Amino acid sequence: MVEFGFKLSPSSRINLDLRDKASFSKLVEIEPDALKCMACGSCTASCSAGIFEETSLRSALLGLQNGDKEKALKLLSHCMFCGKCTMVCPRGINTRHLILSINKIYQVR
Amino acid sequence: MKNNILIIGGGPAGLEASSILVKMGYNVILVEKEKELGGHLAKWDTLFPDGLKAEDLLKSLIKKTEGVKCFTDTQVQSVNILDKSYNVILSNGITVLADALLLATGFDLFKAEKKEEYGYGIYEGVITNADLEQFFKGKFSIKKPKAVGFVHCVGSRDEKACNPACSKVCCATAVKQACHIKETFEEADVFCFYMDLRMFGRHYEDLYLKAQKMGIRFIRGRVSEVAETSEGRLLVKAEDTLSSKPIKVTLDTLVLMAGMRPSESGYMVGHQLNLSVEEDGFFSTKDTMLSLQKSNLEGLFFAGAATGPKTLPDTLHEARSAAMEIDNYLTKK
Amino acid sequence: MTALLQTLYTYSQITPEGIIDRYPNSYNHFVLPFVIGISFIMVYLLIGLIRILYHLTAEDRKRLFISLFTPKTALKNIKDIFCDCLLHTKIWKRKPLLGYMHSAIAFGWFMLIVLGHIEVALFAPRHLDSVADGALYYPIFYRFFIWMSPEHETLRGSLFFFLMDFFLLYVLSGIALAMYKRVRSIALGMRHTTKPSLADRVALYCLWAIFPLRLLAEGFTADLSGGSFLTKPLNMLFRNFFGNELNFLPTWWLYSICLGLFFLAMPFSRYMHILTEPLLIVMRNAGLKVRKPRKGFAEAEIYACSSCGLCLDACPMNTQKKNLKYSSVYFIRFLRRHNEKKINEIADKCLMCGKCYALCPVGVNSPDIRRAQRETLNHKLSFDFTPMDNFRLKENSEESAEIMYFAGCMSHLTPKIIKSVTSVLESAGKKFIFADREGGICCGRPMLLAGRTEAAKELISKNKKMIMESGCKILLLSCPICYKVFKDDYDLKGIRVLHYTQYLNELIEKGELKVSKGSSSMVYHDPCELGRGCGVYEEPRNVLRSIGELKKAEKERDESICCGGSLGSLTLDNKDRGKIAESSINNLTAENPQSIVTACPLCYRSFREKSPIPVKDFAEVVCENIKSN
Repeated sequence: MVEFGFKLSPSSRINLDLRDKASFSKLVEIEPDALKCMACGSCTASCSAGIFEETSLRSALLGLQNGDKEKALKLLSHCMFCGKCTMVCPRGINTRHLILSINKIYQVR
Repeated sequence: MKNNILIIGGGPAGLEASSILVKMGYNVILVEKEKELGGHLAKWDTLFPDGLKAEDLLKSLIKKTEGVKCFTDTQVQSVNILDKSYNVILSNGITVLADALLLATGFDLFKAEKKEEYGYGIYEGVITNADLEQFFKGKFSIKKPKAVGFVHCVGSRDEKACNPACSKVCCATAVKQACHIKETFEEADVFCFYMDLRMFGRHYEDLYLKAQKMGIRFIRGRVSEVAETSEGRLLVKAEDTLSSKPIKVTLDTLVLMAGMRPSESGYMVGHQLNLSVEEDGFFSTKDTMLSLQKSNLEGLFFAGAATGPKTLPDTLHEARSAAMEIDNYLTKK
Repeated sequence: MTALLQTLYTYSQITPEGIIDRYPNSYNHFVLPFVIGISFIMVYLLIGLIRILYHLTAEDRKRLFISLFTPKTALKNIKDIFCDCLLHTKIWKRKPLLGYMHSAIAFGWFMLIVLGHIEVALFAPRHLDSVADGALYYPIFYRFFIWMSPEHETLRGSLFFFLMDFFLLYVLSGIALAMYKRVRSIALGMRHTTKPSLADRVALYCLWAIFPLRLLAEGFTADLSGGSFLTKPLNMLFRNFFGNELNFLPTWWLYSICLGLFFLAMPFSRYMHILTEPLLIVMRNAGLKVRKPRKGFAEAEIYACSSCGLCLDACPMNTQKKNLKYSSVYFIRFLRRHNEKKINEIADKCLMCGKCYALCPVGVNSPDIRRAQRETLNHKLSFDFTPMDNFRLKENSEESAEIMYFAGCMSHLTPKIIKSVTSVLESAGKKFIFADREGGICCGRPMLLAGRTEAAKELISKNKKMIMESGCKILLLSCPICYKVFKDDYDLKGIRVLHYTQYLNELIEKGELKVSKGSSSMVYHDPCELGRGCGVYEEPRNVLRSIGELKKAEKERDESICCGGSLGSLTLDNKDRGKIAESSINNLTAENPQSIVTACPLCYRSFREKSPIPVKDFAEVVCENIKSN
């Protein structure tokens, strides 16, 4: 073998081929609102938990669609369920149920 | 015999249509609920994309309407459908037997106080796009700000405000106003909080570029709430979605870009005629492509924002085609 | 007491003259259906009782046992059982005709049974001695087995004849109303009624048939066994029509079959509540709480549901027919049927406004059961609240103010409320710490409502620490959701937890805050968590009356309709919430007030989205009317 002095490091590019399509469709099945987000960031901006630690439903959803489950769960783990995001969401997404459903589907114990 | 045409709404659409129809030789009656003609145009200072003075445009629109019977400060009291005409009683006591009716009732601005979390009517520094135009016209005062923010989509694209649709003109208006503010208060920091920047028309992108070059900061994120600091300034919270971080910034003036809602007085007229409205509250047209000026009623036509948010050029085009449709209709009759 | 018993006993020893058992072995085959039915239901009840007691925690069992022997609770048990199960006073108060119907059937039937037994005890006591002598059925069919010489009819006997006929008529009037209700429920004040299941129908038709058949049967035998104003004339009529007495056996058979069938269908029908309600009352009075959604105390609640459907009219979701299926009555029906999917769907949809509980004639706490049901699915979800550990008050608490104002998450979206509360406090010259000016830790109530009790407990302990460290004496809340949890679950020793409606009322009554009376009219909306949740109805009204003209809503206080914005529901969508808000507004504007006043940021937001008239916050109205000195 010829050594080339560099190795293929894991790409930082999001690989959409590897995303978990099945789980996401399951999520959409129990909370169809998962498809409605237009990424305005209202939920993240108003989040009560967000003042303590990064918490973002918008990013979490994006993470799930891009196959980054761990990041998504971490972004929601501090959620206090206060419901402010539901109030401010311009698409009328039931954010609390969405968060609950994401946890139910993706949290493996 | 001259046919009677009644035009309801003396904004740009009503004015343009009436001037054309009167030149065609019809007997045109224009009804406007306000004391002055011009609708929202009369309250605006300058227009995007090139900063044309609203006043100049309005003047030339009104100048063309010679021969039109204008009733300002007048509203439609009742409308009845007769065999081939409409019997309209106006609030000034006059009854008109109209062979054709043109609804150019336009829009109302979204009531910004309904978005309570933005604090319009609660904090002094929170104003609307209309207030800012009044300021530019010298009829409204604001304190010299160190930082100004613009919130796009207030009452538009918002199910909570009962209006999921885009109001089409606010993005360009906001960018125009932001430039104007920057020109007025050179020292001030200017921020635009947008969800999607919809600069779709000719020269609009140039306006965007101009704003960028002037140093206006565009933040992709919707403002979620506004609080007051102990010094009485405004603490604005949003997410900078591009860097995935919640941000806060202290401002002195926050301009809410109130969107377009169906005109309430227009709705009252439509209600008497049993006109159908779509889910967004604007009148439904006969179809969505070929007969945009026609309604489901014979002899009743639309022009302008009565059938949904439109820019000024769109509105004026519609006024002209409505005039032509009315002429066709009356000639055939 | 003993003297009375003794007299009764001596009386029972004397068999009055002229009373003869027509059947020396006191048995006829027709009693069989009844005996089978009653045996079945008794065994069923016994097993059920053991099951429920078995599933209680040891602590709860002990508490129940002690309560049975505590005179105060024991007395309350008797009173509640009498008022709720027999007289149905709760229904009487709201809907008199419906109350009459229920009490006629329940109390009337009860009296028939009791009097029947007393009669047997007086006139044929030996039949009560053992099962072999027919103790199980004899008192029920007494009129069949006895022959009474008309010459020897005593005054005492006549009195019983009269009483029995009287109560039979009473029951029959109730049954007639019940039949009428099936056809036109609105006449008895019910807009919606439940769809009966098969067992419900069987039991229902049996119940309808039992008493008319009893009337017929006793009518046939009235010349032999005696009777009064109802049965005697009937007997004469029959004799003229049918000629002899041979017809009466089939009627007694039918009567017995209906009774038997009723008891057989009972456990699978809504009528189970007749027998289980007393158990629920006893357990509730013992202070038991729902721990699991279907076992132990909850099971007693579930089987005590009479499926009457009063909760259908109470449920705010009834504005849309498609959402009627989420009412408590159906929730409990599915719990009984173990339909897991439906149970979870309904449990998650509920707004938890508590109106069904408030209006339930049996007092089934279905919001609690729903919460427990949510807990079964949601308690295992993990969470991480360590970032909130180091949360400290930002404000300078050195001057340690007496009052701490906790606005809560939602109030930050309604700056008007925060601004009004703070400026009212300032006008009254009160110093205060603003606990969450720049945001804080959630009160925990939304977590609790979602069934995530552990997560809620952690939030509660963090907030509690912050509050106790502040050294405040009064914790002031402007959000009823926060208020409820701070009051019920925080256990803040030495600190008064007050909702701002209560506190401002106090300030005005003490004269520390002066308001002027205006002429504008308003209506007050009772937020669910404040009204039904915490029983605060009077204070806000008191203040509003001193500020302007207070108009009435069509339904108010514990009958107020949820605004639709409640955090209780996990799955209700935005559109449906809007519909509920509209119906709530219609209810409020019945007397055309100039504005709607509420005392909850959620109600405030929900109403403002839809209301045609101005919606104001309680503090805002107070603020507008402060008399400046």
